[in-house]
Amino acid sequence: MRNILFLSALILLFNACSKPNTKTITVAGSTTVLPVVSTAAEQYKKAHPDTRIIVNAGGSGVGVNQVGSQKIEIGMISRAITSQEIDQYPDTSFQTHSIGKDAVVPVVSSEIFDSGVTSLSLEQIAKIYRGEISNWKELNGPDKDILVIDKEKSRGTRHVFMKIVMGDKEADAPGADLVLGSNNEEQTAVVQSDAAIGMLSNAWLNEDVKGISIIMPDGEVIEPSLNNIINGSFPITRNLLLVTNGDPVGGARKFIDFILSKEGQDIVTQNGYVSIVQ
Amino acid sequence: MLVSYNKIGKGYIMLSTYISMLIALLIFIVLFINSFDAISQVGLKLFTLEWNPSKNEYGILSMLYGTLSVTVIALTIAIPLGIGTAIFTSEILPSAYRIYVKSIIELLAGIPSIIYGLIGIAFFSTWIASFFELASGRTILTAGILLSIMILPTIVTLSDDAINNVPKKYREAAKGLGLYPFEVIKNTVLPIAKKDITGAILLALGRALGETMAVMLLIGSIDKIPTPFYNVLSPGQTITSKLGREIGESAFGSLHFSALNTMGFVLMLLVIILTLITQLYLRKSNRLYE
Repeated sequence: MRNILFLSALILLFNACSKPNTKTITVAGSTTVLPVVSTAAEQYKKAHPDTRIIVNAGGSGVGVNQVGSQKIEIGMISRAITSQEIDQYPDTSFQTHSIGKDAVVPVVSSEIFDSGVTSLSLEQIAKIYRGEISNWKELNGPDKDILVIDKEKSRGTRHVFMKIVMGDKEADAPGADLVLGSNNEEQTAVVQSDAAIGMLSNAWLNEDVKGISIIMPDGEVIEPSLNNIINGSFPITRNLLLVTNGDPVGGARKFIDFILSKEGQDIVTQNGYVSIVQ
Repeated sequence: MLVSYNKIGKGYIMLSTYISMLIALLIFIVLFINSFDAISQVGLKLFTLEWNPSKNEYGILSMLYGTLSVTVIALTIAIPLGIGTAIFTSEILPSAYRIYVKSIIELLAGIPSIIYGLIGIAFFSTWIASFFELASGRTILTAGILLSIMILPTIVTLSDDAINNVPKKYREAAKGLGLYPFEVIKNTVLPIAKKDITGAILLALGRALGETMAVMLLIGSIDKIPTPFYNVLSPGQTITSKLGREIGESAFGSLHFSALNTMGFVLMLLVIILTLITQLYLRKSNRLYE
């Protein structure tokens, strides 16, 4: 008898927990866009308590695939959708919504930055990733082997970086020592090493992970500053995108509109990215 | 009344057995069907080194190498350590303390693998890096050592039970012949418990082959066989870490997806073959007691 009472209490509790009218919006994809969307989701839920927003990571590739197979409403991507991806999902009409701008910055361990390697040309970076330069000595740094950190092939950050640096978004990187996934995994690896080079979204730079400037072919040195991203002079920039299947409707539409509103764009800026209205 | 209860009981336990068997079979069949595309289209090129989905290259050799090397390292460390511990807890430790020591070791088995991964990435890999003076502590060896800790409780607990299950009369007979305690363990207890200890190792092997999360964070995830091939202080990739990193971004039904399934299929075949070999080997050595 006690068991039955306990059980029915439990069932009542579960019923009380699931509100009948909650709408759920599922979002997944790029870890570059993730901080913006998850902060926006929290604020959106305050104003719309009847909406649940579930935000997952996974990378741009996951974002596109899950929208394509219609498992989620909104995908987060930090690169363009490839033609293969469009071919793979003939039933899905991908529609992208730009919510901000970002730069992909080559980063080095602080020890390397402090030793004087604060700028590299795109050609030098390409040589590092191709395995033609393997010691910091060759770049006027300390006598240390370079720990070259690559990213998983479908990651948006990698697509954008490799397109500009190596000329092909899916270029091989025979010089790579590690292949990692999300921005924070990459960030951790660069912090833990004293001789690493990697690629990170501009918003993920900090004291231990220093972004280096790019030496342009004409000799001009361009810092990865917000100003240079806004005026477009930093060479590796990209749009932060949300992707939906066709025109978003209902909750998804309202949520995207919220991110595009003044309040939503403030979140974009707070996270270290560039607002699209600027 | 009692008879009908009996029937329900029998039906229930039979049904549970069939369901478990069916699930194992289904997984095998589903993996096979999904890997069919890759097997027929990529064929023998599956056993090459290049993995590059955008160029339709699906060579699984470096992943296979990673899985085997990580498992060998883990077992090399965990088997002597685990069986030693089991002999101590069951034969030497007074039985009043046995339960406490065992529960502490079993606690290791209850820790989620992501926690091992986090500790591994935050501390263990940095120790390995500074100890061997490496550029990065994400190596095959790091993953193997961490894995050995994760499979240790399986070996300890089951070997301890195996040794403990050896009937007392054998020990007494051996002692009666004037053997030292060391000889009793070595010549009497261990040979009798051998079959069950092997079972323990097999179970641990299964976990080592299949562990994903901790290995994925620690191994460096690069599809390369180190040069020279025994240099386990370089990063690598296991079948599971590859699956963990790529299955989400491969489109369902694509060749990429199918190739990933093939790796899962190969992993399952590996487990089945190893189990069969051990079973055959053990059938020859008949049990002493009963």
